Amino acid sequence: MNYLKLAWRNLWRNKRRTLITSASIMFSVFFAIVMRSFQLGTYNHMIKNIIESYSGFVQVQHINYHDDMVLENSFDFSIETLSDLENIEGIKSVTPRIESFALASTGSQTKGAVVIGIDPERESQLSDPQHLLVKYRITDKTIELLVNSKISTEIIKKVKEQLNESFSSRESVELALGLKGPDLDKWIVNILEFSKFSGKILSPDDDGVLVSDRLSKYLKANIGDTIILISQGYQGASAAALCPVRGIIKIPAPDLDNKLIYMSLPKAQSFYGMEGKLTSLNINPKDNSERNLPKIKAEIASALSNPELSVKDWKEFNPVLKQQIESDNQSGQAILGLLYFIIFFGIFGTVLMMVHERSREFGVLISIGMQRTSLAIILLYEMLLMGFFAVLIGIFASLPLLYYGNVHPFRFTGDLAKIYSSMGFEPVMPMMWIDTYIFWQGFVVALMVILSCLYPLRKIFTMKEVNALRA
Amino acid sequence: MTRPILSLCVLGLLFFKLSAQNATEIVKKADEKARGENSGISEMNMKIVRPTWERTVSFKSWSKGTDYSMVLITAPAKENGQSFLKIEREMWNWNPVISRMIKLPPSMLSQGWMGSDFTNDDLLNQSSAVIDYTHKIIGSEIIENHNCYIIELLPKEDAPVVWGKLIFWISKDDFLQLKNEYYDEDGYLVKSEIGKNIKSMDGRTIPTVYELIPADKPGNKTILEMVSIKFNAPVTNDFFTQQNMKRLK
Repeated sequence: MNYLKLAWRNLWRNKRRTLITSASIMFSVFFAIVMRSFQLGTYNHMIKNIIESYSGFVQVQHINYHDDMVLENSFDFSIETLSDLENIEGIKSVTPRIESFALASTGSQTKGAVVIGIDPERESQLSDPQHLLVKYRITDKTIELLVNSKISTEIIKKVKEQLNESFSSRESVELALGLKGPDLDKWIVNILEFSKFSGKILSPDDDGVLVSDRLSKYLKANIGDTIILISQGYQGASAAALCPVRGIIKIPAPDLDNKLIYMSLPKAQSFYGMEGKLTSLNINPKDNSERNLPKIKAEIASALSNPELSVKDWKEFNPVLKQQIESDNQSGQAILGLLYFIIFFGIFGTVLMMVHERSREFGVLISIGMQRTSLAIILLYEMLLMGFFAVLIGIFASLPLLYYGNVHPFRFTGDLAKIYSSMGFEPVMPMMWIDTYIFWQGFVVALMVILSCLYPLRKIFTMKEVNALRA
Repeated sequence: MTRPILSLCVLGLLFFKLSAQNATEIVKKADEKARGENSGISEMNMKIVRPTWERTVSFKSWSKGTDYSMVLITAPAKENGQSFLKIEREMWNWNPVISRMIKLPPSMLSQGWMGSDFTNDDLLNQSSAVIDYTHKIIGSEIIENHNCYIIELLPKEDAPVVWGKLIFWISKDDFLQLKNEYYDEDGYLVKSEIGKNIKSMDGRTIPTVYELIPADKPGNKTILEMVSIKFNAPVTNDFFTQQNMKRLK
């Protein structure tokens, strides 16, 4: 106990020295956490975009579907199966789907598209088309109307930058325009009014389609237009249909936004000639953590008890995303390792300075009969105390930033945004909110503090009093 | 001494020439029999067999020589009314559901016609077994109670064909093609066609069932069954138009 008291007093004896050393530890923790938070937040965002609100964390498929994604590898769908699955405790939503390809055309423009047959009601729990529906699109007409209504040129310039952009909520329009204060309040109503876009989502047995934003622009298909779909259906049947466009949806993942078409399930079944069949049941569990997935998968498999069906989690049916995240994570960890390296020498440098400063003090203490071990223990306590508080302060200092970055994700604009989009990423870098990673960062830094204690301890045990006294 | 040897050689050459002539003659006769000389109208059922499922498509077809042909799908109901027009080396597809005429692009040539094992290319590029190949009898065999010549066809150097070798089994009495095997340039079997169910139709004895078996896809085959055929039916060139594709019944 006395050791601890002495250590505590030693720390306060030279406040400035303590402050410098603990500041170096504190910033280390802060930076390590912020960096890791960006990395993990981005992965989480990707998983949320692509898995949680598009494909589901778990899918029930025909046993051969994964290896050969053809419509023949579909399965018979009964409403009983669906309700059986929905009754499982840990399951949040079950969404039936048919997924296949078709050539979409408006006559002059043609493009390959992913056609997804959805149950519009259940789909609201997964990708939520209502939420994705484009409600505002800034067109030449919008700008013309704004010019006519004597709006300031500065605002028109900002609106022009967003020409041909689509938005699915008022908030996203405000965010993209970056207007503030009175300007915003005064003009946003006009801007919204002039860019209004009137789509609706599908009814349960709709024969129309929802087209993703970028695809609709490529096809030059507007609401009410008819698009031609041609494909090969179930068992080689030819599939062709004329479908009116009911609405445009904006998918956050640019890659999907280029090629997605939503169709009502009955329409998709008749289009592909596969009445009563599905290619997948997309399931989101209530707890989608890594630990819980195997358990939920086992529960689903036992509820199905059908040897023709297999249950796959997202890492199995979307290995591309998994690898993308893994490889990025590895390079992220390498950079983090580099950061640790720099941090370590930062801490070590201040410790070195401290020992040098205090070597006369140590010499005196040993000369007047203090045990070297006692001195070493006191020094260790000092470092640990300082390390503990500095790490704690570092963690708390990072929290406001984490919170802000989590709620208001950092958004790229301009060319950088285009580069990100063209690579298939949404140009957003959100931060991860509090999770175990924070304590790991704290732990690693604390470990480095202990590691940098080795030098002063060795110094104490090998020190020659005579030399030390002269220092 | 030299004279008899020389004459023997001449005789041998003559003999070889004769047998070659013979093989060509056989292929020519069989080819004429299969094609129906000038024009024809037929109704067929095409059964597509896959390891886990089967599907039957019925169609009516009109043809004139090798350059003109028209096909109208009559069943299943969902595909009824679709028609295909082939003029020389081009092909169009009319789909009444979307009211669109589609010209088959070159990229679609290697795809299966109506989901079958027949590729669009098979239908378009009918090279001539008579003109484009050299013929040689390499044996005989009995297939389905018919004594057949086995004839090997090797493509001529400048012939526009994709095959490395063909082997035909042609019956000795009726000149019917009972089995054809197609080999690629490396000598691997690509597909075989088997003619079965020999019957008399419109005054000719012909195999009325054709099976197409791709060699590299076990369990897959396409069975073409002739329901009716009229040889030398009156079909004129102006029947084969895009306008007519939409009117066919």
